Amino acid sequence: MHRHRRNTAEIEFLYRQHGSALLLFALAITGERGRAQDAIHQVFLKLIENGSLSQAVDKKAYLFACVRNAVLNEGKRDDRNTQLEPDSVWFIPPDRDYARERNLRRALGVLPDDQREAIVLHVWGELTFSQIGDLMGISSNTAASRYRYALAKLRDAMFAKENFCANS
Amino acid sequence: MPTPDDERFEIYLKQFHPLVPDPMPTEGRGQASRRSFVLRAWFAAVAAILIVAAIGLHIRSNRVAAPNTAIEAASPKVVPLQPLTMRSANALLATAPSFKAVVDGLAFRSESLTLPKGEQSALAVLGKEKIKL
Repeated sequence: MHRHRRNTAEIEFLYRQHGSALLLFALAITGERGRAQDAIHQVFLKLIENGSLSQAVDKKAYLFACVRNAVLNEGKRDDRNTQLEPDSVWFIPPDRDYARERNLRRALGVLPDDQREAIVLHVWGELTFSQIGDLMGISSNTAASRYRYALAKLRDAMFAKENFCANS
Repeated sequence: MPTPDDERFEIYLKQFHPLVPDPMPTEGRGQASRRSFVLRAWFAAVAAILIVAAIGLHIRSNRVAAPNTAIEAASPKVVPLQPLTMRSANALLATAPSFKAVVDGLAFRSESLTLPKGEQSALAVLGKEKIKL
């Protein structure tokens, strides 16, 4: 009983600590806020019920892997790129500049799923390329090169858009 | 290798903070269950107090009732042992608040008292005497 309560407290702490990044990661896969939120709740409730988190060596990477599996196992995702909800906000932008937030979201949406995942996992999830490689079933070098390629595309997309917006 | 541009761009991206997710369903559930636990504890405490009070009252009423029944049970035996004699009438007069109270008390005594042999009721003696006023 005491052990279960301690385990629940630890899981709730991890939820507060990594919940935002996990939600963003789920959003990057599903493109829908509701589905993303459901997937995270499903993962954490299962963890509380089973108490299986104590066996995980790398808890943060394990949580991201669980969220990814939960979303993919849902079976609603098809092979083509995710259709992002246009009005669903993903970030709190600096200076509350929601035009830039929309710009970033659109640029992320243009990326292929695996590249978008790599970007989110490394920038906001703060996972290493080794952890990303383990999670996505690729080598750490592949994860790193995928990330660099995605980052360059994202930058081009964002600044081209911002310059376009500034010029127009 | 990450270029300085990449690093600067990463720093720029990190200025965008992901949204905070909705609270976990267990947190609300936990609070609700904690609240219901407190309510249940209060109800249990109130119920326990009521039960204890009821038991206490029951025991007390039994104790009060027991002496009454004892007196009732004992009184028919006591009365024949203390028939009304001159001595007891004097004792009653000495302790009673008024003469009327003594007479009333004596008048409502059971008539069915049987006196031991050789003894007479003071009332009977006084009733036979003709007092001239």
